[in-house]
Amino acid sequence: MLSHPFRRFAPMVFVSSLAIVADVHADPKPPQVTVPKTVGADLKSGNADKIRTALDEIRLAGKGGGTAFVVPIVELLQKGVTSQLAEAALDTLADLEAEAASAVIAEYTQDRNVRVRQAATKALVKTKGAAAIKALVHSLSDQDPMVRGVAANGLGQMKAKAAIGDLFLALDHHVNEASVAIGMLCGAQECEQLGSRVGKIPFDVVSGAIEQALFRPDVPDDTKIKLVGRIRELGTNEANKFLRETAKRWSQGSARVKQALDQAVQATGGGS
Amino acid sequence: MRKAALIAVMVLACGGGQTHANLFSTNWQDDGGSSIAALQQKIGAARAAIGADVAVGVAGNSDKLVGVSLAGGAPWSFAHAIDVRPTITGSVVVAEGGGELFCLDAASGRKLWGRDVGSLAMRGAGDDGKVTVVSLKGAQTALVLAISRDGAVVRQVDAPDTVGVPAMFGGYAFVPWSYQYVSVLDLSSGDEAGRVLARGKVSHAFTASGALFFGEQDLFRFDERIKDASRNHATRISLPQRELPGTPSLMASGEDKIGPVATALDKTRMYAHPSSGEPIAFDAQRFYGTYFRLAMAFDTHSTKLAWVYSGKVELLSAAAGPSSFVVCNEDGSVVILDARTGGMERELSLGGPIKSCVVQADGLAAQTAQPAPPLAQQIAVALTNRDSEMISGQRLLLREIATLDDEAVTKTLVDLASNPLTAPLLIADARVALAARRSGAKYMLDALALHYDFLHDVLLTPPVGPMAQALAAMKEKSAAPLLAAHLLDPADTDDDVKQAAAALVDLGDASEVPALKQFMTLYRASADSEGVAGAVVSAGQSLLLYGGADGRKLVDQALADPMTLDAVKSRLSAVEQQVDAQHKAK
Repeated sequence: MLSHPFRRFAPMVFVSSLAIVADVHADPKPPQVTVPKTVGADLKSGNADKIRTALDEIRLAGKGGGTAFVVPIVELLQKGVTSQLAEAALDTLADLEAEAASAVIAEYTQDRNVRVRQAATKALVKTKGAAAIKALVHSLSDQDPMVRGVAANGLGQMKAKAAIGDLFLALDHHVNEASVAIGMLCGAQECEQLGSRVGKIPFDVVSGAIEQALFRPDVPDDTKIKLVGRIRELGTNEANKFLRETAKRWSQGSARVKQALDQAVQATGGGS
Repeated sequence: MRKAALIAVMVLACGGGQTHANLFSTNWQDDGGSSIAALQQKIGAARAAIGADVAVGVAGNSDKLVGVSLAGGAPWSFAHAIDVRPTITGSVVVAEGGGELFCLDAASGRKLWGRDVGSLAMRGAGDDGKVTVVSLKGAQTALVLAISRDGAVVRQVDAPDTVGVPAMFGGYAFVPWSYQYVSVLDLSSGDEAGRVLARGKVSHAFTASGALFFGEQDLFRFDERIKDASRNHATRISLPQRELPGTPSLMASGEDKIGPVATALDKTRMYAHPSSGEPIAFDAQRFYGTYFRLAMAFDTHSTKLAWVYSGKVELLSAAAGPSSFVVCNEDGSVVILDARTGGMERELSLGGPIKSCVVQADGLAAQTAQPAPPLAQQIAVALTNRDSEMISGQRLLLREIATLDDEAVTKTLVDLASNPLTAPLLIADARVALAARRSGAKYMLDALALHYDFLHDVLLTPPVGPMAQALAAMKEKSAAPLLAAHLLDPADTDDDVKQAAAALVDLGDASEVPALKQFMTLYRASADSEGVAGAVVSAGQSLLLYGGADGRKLVDQALADPMTLDAVKSRLSAVEQQVDAQHKAK
């Protein structure tokens, strides 16, 4: 029986809350949680309970105190553990954000246990690196929709431009998370390709992606104006609402794009 | 009863004769075949005229008959209410509807005669070119009418309500009744000229190949041995015992009223054309079974499947001829197939969709047929039909195709088992058949290269387990890397993984060690099924056999690690001891 991560990490949530309170009181440094000395030995003990506790301790310590344990955790996964421990180890490596762990985590994206695959995919988004990108692209084809969604989202977050073709394929296969990822990654041509999906896929799926692209400084104004035009062509209430909200937030961007947004808001004002 | 009597009066007024008291008598004493022997001596040399080769459909809203000669030509049409399935006999079509019994020329559809029969419904008819004999039944009465070509009633007799489908032969009417008797009606006197007591179910009398037959499932021939029918020594032929979908029968009960619209029973039927020669046999050495869109021909000696015809639509009826098999489809197409090969001779049309069909192909001469594709290909076509009604027929065909050595059969089985549109029952059967294949390894290797791939629409994993079993039996070493890759495919079933790992014990080498190690690592402590646990043990065995020192080290670590599942550990330990013993023995 697995415990819920939030329940298990209730102390950590509490610590985080304290940290927020501390921020309010202008204390810039979060408290350093020290890792018990026994953690290293516990990870190698072969005892599931001890390993579990050790992983919890490392998570509590976070990147600061826990990074030293990346190697033993990786070794633990390389040796093989129960599914529950694998999940906990993957979550811990995710917290530690160590790229060195990506290769071994990638192997767990092929695990038969879907929860382990989900944990591995989430971890890769945090640990990043070439091995992570390769595994996440593969995970776009996973049987589990959550794994596919996390992988798509992660590729966007990791700015994995090479994966954009796979992300379009995923979007066409109703992996909606691929939409925002494309919005985060697309070049001029690909953004326009995204724009061509307006009206073909649900608006709430494509709008997030277009929003991403519109607010990215590296996307050319002409492309942005074309994207605005695509939304304008829709002429629906939801298109108008999107354009209005985007125009309202357009404080420092290009004046040409702002003008296109304002005109589009006006043109779609009577939309249905 | 009053109405029937009224009709009787009416038809007699048109020229009918008198009936005899002992006709259809249940007090009849078995005369040891003497009466029927005398009659057989008298008319046995007669030959029934070969009937018109024609297909006739009930069309429209059961308000039209359409017909086409099997020799070709334009279809004919005759508008009339149709209440029962028409009968083709000799050169005429006899039908009934709207209270009228009527007779058409089978070749042209021209009406020859019609008679008012009130509420009586036709059961069947026979014809010898001069006289048509018809059995009719109402709620409380049954009649046999003999009507000449000019429409005059030659004879009308009350019949038992168990009366079946009669035939005309040698100037006599042969009337089956009570499922065991055939009374021979002398039309000139109204007497019963003889009686056959058959030791088998008899509700039909009909002519084929110039001879007269009685029966329903078994057929009895009217020849010199008919006198011994009551002692079960008549010339008799039965369809060979053969598993067929829907357990079809040769003929419906001749006692039953058959409606104008085809039912499932019409679409699942058996056919054969009996010969007049010695010894009695089925022509072309074939018998046939239909199953919705399928027509299958079988060898009468071996009962092996000879060919399969797959229709685009459902088959409503068919007929076996001396050298052909004719199928009549619900779209009104009529297809003539070579009885020997199943090759198509020609396709005709009744002009449009039909509700039901009757076909007579008694004299149909063989014509040059298109060459039929190999049997494996014919079955493959039949198996790809996605009509859910076809499953039982397809399961039978799958068992048939599995017996063929053709390499292409392996491809068909792989395709079926890999296609998410295939019915689950058929997938299960295809997997069983695949495991037993010993040819077509190249198709299995191609399939093993595929994995579940959501983005590329591969939504069903290939049948890895059965192919692993087959490839191991074929000692196909080139399968090893493909099987190793499947160990790490989470979409594969537990059993597929188990079989892949087992096959790698025989087929693998050092190249597969990395995949085997990864598999061991992932599952030695987390296998959650017997299949995966078994696969871990097989992976361990492979590592011991060809994994070198590193492989053995991994196995020993697994054995020493308390986290390794007990079920894995005990079997892995046994495997290690076994491998060690084998090494020592060498």
